[in-house]
Amino acid sequence: MKNSIYAVAFGMLFLTACKNDPKQAESNEMNTHEMQMGTDENHDHSSMGATTMQAGKTMGATAQKSGLTSAIIDGYLEIKNALVKEDSKKAAEGGKMMLMAFSNFDMSKLTESQHTKYMEIAESAKENAVHISKNPLEHQREHFEFLSKDINDMIALVGTDKTLYQDFCPMAGNNNGAMWLSESKEINNPYLGSKMMKCGSIQKQIN
Amino acid sequence: MPTTRNQSNEVLETDFFKTFDAPNNIQQLLKNSCYDCHSNSTNYPWYNNIQPVSWFLENHIKKGKKELNFSEFGGYSKRRQKSKLKFIKSQIEKNEMPLSSYTFIHRDAKLSKIQKGILLNWMTKLRDSL
Repeated sequence: MKNSIYAVAFGMLFLTACKNDPKQAESNEMNTHEMQMGTDENHDHSSMGATTMQAGKTMGATAQKSGLTSAIIDGYLEIKNALVKEDSKKAAEGGKMMLMAFSNFDMSKLTESQHTKYMEIAESAKENAVHISKNPLEHQREHFEFLSKDINDMIALVGTDKTLYQDFCPMAGNNNGAMWLSESKEINNPYLGSKMMKCGSIQKQIN
Repeated sequence: MPTTRNQSNEVLETDFFKTFDAPNNIQQLLKNSCYDCHSNSTNYPWYNNIQPVSWFLENHIKKGKKELNFSEFGGYSKRRQKSKLKFIKSQIEKNEMPLSSYTFIHRDAKLSKIQKGILLNWMTKLRDSL
């Protein structure tokens, strides 16, 4: 009896250590009854390990929570989704939307150390957005590749409160590979579109 | 309407070739095929004094410099430099640059297949090194 109590206590400790979610810990405590009933600890251990590992694969950075970049990211996602659908006109509109977002960006909310880097990124992103706002699809896609890097760097610098996924397709960008940010887990390729819609995988989850 | 001349004898510190080491043949190719529209120093042809040619030229030069100015390249952020190098490469590969309207008149500015190869090869190496 004593041994099984220790076993249960140890099991509980392990469970609460692996799952950070407080709600989960609560339900774990409620499950001790079931555990006492002789559930194979080893089995629990490995199945939980597998779940944690799977989550770990897409687990990523927790970006600073900031709403400053929201409008810019919205513009970016407009472009992205238009490129997925191969709608050049809509992508152009997204480019204009992004430019507007940049002009409305409140730089006074940035710290001094962020200022210079932000300006460097913004200059590049705006240039890419301008090109996207007035060019055919393939040229838009070329600029989107650089825009994606810009926005990714901007998020690393300033933060975001959105949940985003960093996707990568090794065949995009003339087989050199290219990344993009998405608001959904589902892979829809903005570089290849209907040619190879599902090419790519999630590299990182932001938030 | 008088147009301002895009001419400068001064080679800026930010000039592309002051920023990066390049063999003479590369320098010649770029200067010959690109610098008229993409630098602070245009070699104006004699017919520049005729309108609307003058207006056309100034328009090209203005747009060209805004997009890419080799005289100021050294002053671009690394991010922008890398991006520009990629697009220079892409535009040349696709025969979009130098402009056919330009090479039609400036035959020597037209890049042969071999010249393109040399140039693009060098640009790729440069971009990778940044």
